[in-house]
Amino acid sequence: MIGRARNPWRAPRFLAVGTWLYIAWALVPVAVAIMFSFNDGRSRSVWQGFSMRWWWGDPNLSLFHHPDYTQALVHSIRLAVLDMAIATPLGVMLALGLNRWRGRGSRPANLLMLVPLVTPELVMAVSLLLLFTQVAIVPFALVELGTTAQVIGQVTVSLPYVVVIVRSRLASIGEQYEEAASDLGASPLQALRLVLLPLLFPAIVASMLIVFALSMDNFVVTQYLSSDQSTATIPMYVYANTRGAATPALNALASVLVFLTLLASGVAFGVYAFAQRRVRRSGGSAVRELTALDR
Amino acid sequence: MDGGQLATRADRAPVGEIRVVGLTKRFDEIVAVADIDLEIRPGEFFALLGPSGCGKTTILRMIAGFEEPTAGTVVLDGEDLSRVPAHRRNVNTVFQSYALFPHLDVFGNVAFGLRRQKVPRAELRRRVGEALDLVQLGDQSRRRPMQLSGGQQQRVALARALVLRPAVLLLDEPLGALDAKLRKQLQVELKALQEQVGITFVFVTHDQEEALSMSDRIAVMQAGRIEQVGTPRALYEEPATPFVADFLGVSNLMTVEVEGSDSAGSWLRIGEFRLLAREGDRLARGVATIVVRPERIVLEPYYALEGENRLPAMVERTMYVGSAVHAIVRLATGATLQASVPNTGDAVNWQQGTPVSVHLPADAIRVLAVASPPTPRS
Repeated sequence: MIGRARNPWRAPRFLAVGTWLYIAWALVPVAVAIMFSFNDGRSRSVWQGFSMRWWWGDPNLSLFHHPDYTQALVHSIRLAVLDMAIATPLGVMLALGLNRWRGRGSRPANLLMLVPLVTPELVMAVSLLLLFTQVAIVPFALVELGTTAQVIGQVTVSLPYVVVIVRSRLASIGEQYEEAASDLGASPLQALRLVLLPLLFPAIVASMLIVFALSMDNFVVTQYLSSDQSTATIPMYVYANTRGAATPALNALASVLVFLTLLASGVAFGVYAFAQRRVRRSGGSAVRELTALDR
Repeated sequence: MDGGQLATRADRAPVGEIRVVGLTKRFDEIVAVADIDLEIRPGEFFALLGPSGCGKTTILRMIAGFEEPTAGTVVLDGEDLSRVPAHRRNVNTVFQSYALFPHLDVFGNVAFGLRRQKVPRAELRRRVGEALDLVQLGDQSRRRPMQLSGGQQQRVALARALVLRPAVLLLDEPLGALDAKLRKQLQVELKALQEQVGITFVFVTHDQEEALSMSDRIAVMQAGRIEQVGTPRALYEEPATPFVADFLGVSNLMTVEVEGSDSAGSWLRIGEFRLLAREGDRLARGVATIVVRPERIVLEPYYALEGENRLPAMVERTMYVGSAVHAIVRLATGATLQASVPNTGDAVNWQQGTPVSVHLPADAIRVLAVASPPTPRS
């Protein structure tokens, strides 16, 4: 007996339901936390109506009036901007270097470059802390805990992301545009400035935004390398105060973190996807006779 | 098409002579180009022809300066280019993928090289305009490369290179990405353009028909070596090696035994039959390869088997291609030949299985000098 044949083209309902369950599980608590930043009452668990008092309404306790909150907010943004300004150009240079370096040692370097991405951040943070506090050799001894150490730590952590993004873009650009530039009389530096950098621009913008998001989000390294209350960031402040008698202003602070990281990652993704589509449409058929030999 | 300033190149002292001496390129263990000597004359349309991976593009890239030779040199108009970087060489390249800068419009692309030379603004505008007119894109200067068709992109790439008035223009399969009809049209235009501007063109292609129809001379390459250099006619009519004969179109290669030669030509033995060959190497003895062009083979009714150079055969397959009927015939000796019977309107229909007499005229049989076995085409 053959049972009723099942439609092989039916929708994969089980998978769809599972996916949506996970998405709800992951996002609903965040949404609820954000919602309570708009609570009219002091409670962070009982809804008492909508208000903006914890954002800016309350003259003493709101996010933009309480000195601790504004301090954390400003310091987070300060670190993110510094991280972005240092890690992005450095990462672009490293990516260009790795892309061109074909000699002995280039392969291991390519792999080792990715190790920081998977190194436990705690290990990295402790190592840097020991380096800056225990080693009395000149460059390290000069670094004091606080903003400088935090920036160095964040740059260290975020650099590989820039390298990965820029390198994948370099790979899709290929060498043909630079060759064309030099063929037309551009020196290597001119080819870099007039052709490669404009083509890399979307990847650079994407990298900056990702670094910004990473920095805003970073907790471990930033916490270990901080000095005092003045170098506390949003994640540090949220971590320290969640269990205490915090007001919904803390939720507002955390919401800022969520908004900024989501926005930065979202825009970064958009810019990058747009640029990749453009490259593929314009010069996709770069299959060269000896591509295999060139490598 | 109006050449303008570009056309004056032809009036000046001839430049654009390339000498390649002992040029070698190894990628790790792979030898891409093996000790090649080559002379390309000023104003010549020169093709490097060969299958994929034969090293033709690598030679072009070494002339352009993108690839450092493992050994040997490139000499342009008497100047050794070994220590001259790509951006200081008086040669320009049309890339296979065009490599038009996607962030610049057509004008910006064509003006790129002139701006590097710090050409004054007014002259720059004029020369870019002339170059775009030359390739019939004068009205497209504000468009981006990705808004153009493949053929238009190809023309922009040409204009971008020609506007610099190089001594030599290098073209790396410039028509490879275009469809067949457009390719034919651009072949004609490119050849006319080359005659107009009078610049040496070095043209890389794997398409034998393209090379034959456009070039003054062709170098046929295989596995990093040059098999033969010559005019299209010389290569087609007098191929020096089985590879050249085979690569330049369908050719019938047969292994024969050369018995000797006299004033009439070389006497060949194939199975129990004797053939007279009037072309090719008269000094060859013993086992040799002969080549017969399909269009020179005459199929006759089987009862006409009398006379010299006639072999019995059977039609194995026929293919109608419009201008001709291609018939594959199997000789009594076991070898197969392809004969091309021109479509003259007579409905001569060689059915499969028909016994025929294959006439190989003595002046259509060429004995090849090289003893290497024929390279079958896949």
